[in-house]
Amino acid sequence: MPRLNSFRELEHLRESLRGQRQAITTTVMVCGGTGCQASQSRAVIDAVRDELSTQGLSQSVRLCVTGCHGFCEQGPVMIVEPGNVFYCSVSPDDAFEIVSQTVVRGEVIERLLYTDPVSREKFRTESEIPFYRSQDRQLLSQNLMVDPCSIEDYIVVGGYSALTKVLYNMAPEEIISEIKSSGLRGRGGGGFSTGRKWSECREAPGDEKYVICNADEGDPGAYMDRCVLEGNPHLVLEGMMIGAWAIGAGKGYVYVRNEYPLAVEHSRLAVEQARELGLLGDNILGSSFSFDVDIARGGGAFVCGESTALMASIEGKVGEPRAKDVHTVVDGLYHKPTTLNNVETWANVPSIILDGSSWFASKGTKESKGTKILALTGRIKNTGLVEVAMGTPISTVVFDIGGGAVDGNKIKAVQTGGPSGGCLPLDKFDLPVDFDVLYEAGSMVGSGGMVVMDESSCMVDVAKYFLTFLQDESCGKCLPCRVGIDRMLEIITDITEGRGRPEQLDLLEELADTVSQTALCGLGKTAPNPVLSTLRYFRSEYEAHINEKKCPAGVCKALITYWIDPDKCTGCGVCIKGCVHQAITGGKKEAHVIDIRLCQKCGICRSECKFDAILIT
Amino acid sequence: MLQQVNVNIDGANIRATRGTTVLDAAIEYGICIPHLCHVPYLSSISACRLCIVEHVVNGRSNVTASCTLNVEEGMVILTNTDKIRRLRRNLAELLVAQAPNSRAIQDIALRCGVKEVRYPFRNDDCVLCGRCVQMCTEVWKARAIGFVGRGKERHVDYPFGIRPDFCKQCGSCVQLCPMTIPPCDGPMKPGEEYLCRKCESQLMLADETPDHCVWCKLGESFGCGRYVGIKS
Repeated sequence: MPRLNSFRELEHLRESLRGQRQAITTTVMVCGGTGCQASQSRAVIDAVRDELSTQGLSQSVRLCVTGCHGFCEQGPVMIVEPGNVFYCSVSPDDAFEIVSQTVVRGEVIERLLYTDPVSREKFRTESEIPFYRSQDRQLLSQNLMVDPCSIEDYIVVGGYSALTKVLYNMAPEEIISEIKSSGLRGRGGGGFSTGRKWSECREAPGDEKYVICNADEGDPGAYMDRCVLEGNPHLVLEGMMIGAWAIGAGKGYVYVRNEYPLAVEHSRLAVEQARELGLLGDNILGSSFSFDVDIARGGGAFVCGESTALMASIEGKVGEPRAKDVHTVVDGLYHKPTTLNNVETWANVPSIILDGSSWFASKGTKESKGTKILALTGRIKNTGLVEVAMGTPISTVVFDIGGGAVDGNKIKAVQTGGPSGGCLPLDKFDLPVDFDVLYEAGSMVGSGGMVVMDESSCMVDVAKYFLTFLQDESCGKCLPCRVGIDRMLEIITDITEGRGRPEQLDLLEELADTVSQTALCGLGKTAPNPVLSTLRYFRSEYEAHINEKKCPAGVCKALITYWIDPDKCTGCGVCIKGCVHQAITGGKKEAHVIDIRLCQKCGICRSECKFDAILIT
Repeated sequence: MLQQVNVNIDGANIRATRGTTVLDAAIEYGICIPHLCHVPYLSSISACRLCIVEHVVNGRSNVTASCTLNVEEGMVILTNTDKIRRLRRNLAELLVAQAPNSRAIQDIALRCGVKEVRYPFRNDDCVLCGRCVQMCTEVWKARAIGFVGRGKERHVDYPFGIRPDFCKQCGSCVQLCPMTIPPCDGPMKPGEEYLCRKCESQLMLADETPDHCVWCKLGESFGCGRYVGIKS
């Protein structure tokens, strides 16, 4: 495609592409995100493509491989336009049926529709499904419309029109004041006002400035940034261009972790396509604005998500944080003023410019505006990515969208904000998803991870898990983080293994407070949150471990014993066969017995037993 | 020309050269902020965090390390509040529990008010203060040693574990190492470590006590050598 030299040429291209698309009557949108690829969506895509060409429909039907739809639990998912028919858990064998019935005749295949696990009700379109009904999908819905590998798709749906608007109609100061009045706050975890960051960076002395997109998402179980970057890379690029124009930067970096191969590939492709069209490079669209973006790949260190460590990593140094007494907006990458924002933050920018700050500010709470993507995982029915307006209560997310607990268990807590966040108990579920409210409650919105836990989770064990993660991922530079986390883990391990002493709880609390106040970077400062929040809300569990040497949830192996209830045991012998340690004895039709000296507490017998005869105390 | 700024440290109005750190400015005026990883002629990496102070901005105080905080006009710094003393004591306790076999570390623990160690002792040879690495990197520009590994695995080593030619074995890394002076009663065996509490808390690691020591209150609370001397 030829280089675009003015915004007229861009509009012309948009019109002509729309004209070409008018001949297409039907679109089949299949999710090609990482989650659905794991459930064989590649094979589904190939099967549908083959089927379309066999039936001679390649020209009139468009097969669009999109980014993540969010409902990864039910993948691979597919939407057929017109009619917006939503199919889930599609297999390659369904391709013939889908093409010949739904695509050609517009008939709905009942079998492939989503079935509500409780009411057994079937839903025809995406918007009817309870998982989607309570969401407010501003960013994720844009994933459905475009093929991330195609800049044409993005332009057809109105892409890069926010860029032309700012280049021709808005002064940089106007953009910044628009972002400021929208109330957009950093989506990566800090929740710092984006407008303020931009204006500080614009005012910082220096001609050479940088913008960085932080896609080094490392929280266990969270993948919001991956979904946006691999599903709609041009949206992120457009946001970065607007930001660069506003602060006066000439160079941008997308720092994406190498464990996201699809995000790396798609963002690279997007940069190449934008360069080819002249949307990146010198004198973009005939204006005075010159800007280019490079993709920097991260090696997978969690700490490189911290701004100064990330910048050190881009510079080619060891990814370690440094003291931030002078903010990175003044002294950042290569000691130049740098604006670093998260993927989701950048992705919010184009819509704020196009629809206005008042539209954005109309969603959310007083201090937290807009929508937030959350990665909902754990012991609930519907897992996946959900996007809700800020201020939505946690209970809505967990029960209405997530569908409540699995296996009839009772939900106990939700862990928000990844390893740096905290655990909130059930009675705090009416709290809204709001930066300040969750912070007050001892947790944080963070990057948006939300792990739901039920009665089968031991909160001490949860704290231990996160501490182990943080101990591995700490860079080890400063004493409180390196040694402090290690000592906290030592104490918690003592507690879970039955060596805990009551005074250790106070020590744990004091140590956690010391680490959070004295650590060098954000990772260390927030590292004690899982401990502090579980101590705050689930202190009784800690006390049970220490005083009664019992694990109420039956998780901590040193504190539990398996035994067989003789009244329930039918003597079927399944557990005897299942036990790899030969710890169970007993004759046929008589109650079996577990030898606790041999029992390794693996839990195989318990999962094998059909009569719930194996109990934990 | 060197610009001077006015800084208020613990209520004392002092003049400091723009570009120096709060820690250097405080030490110059005899206000002793305990520190380990900082060496006067090397740049700070802010690793030990012992030199934390409260930086009061608009009535709110932030806890931050003074070795990387540059002085600015009108800055208000508190180095000796209850909160800082408590945090510093906890940090020193972590430090001495990690490496009791160093007179310097034992000394710092005492100066920071550690009365008991609530963690099991470990007998590490290195506290990763980074003084040696900074020396080799900044003064000799040799980079013959550096940090290797992450988190618990972090240690100081030669590149790929082999002594390179450009290490001239000058020994300046050893000179700066806080682990080279064993406690007065000799090295402690693993499992028999204790908090010795015997040292007279001299300023072992920084330069000599400055001539213009103002006998700060901080010195008293940390058992500064001069204070201990005058009382006895």
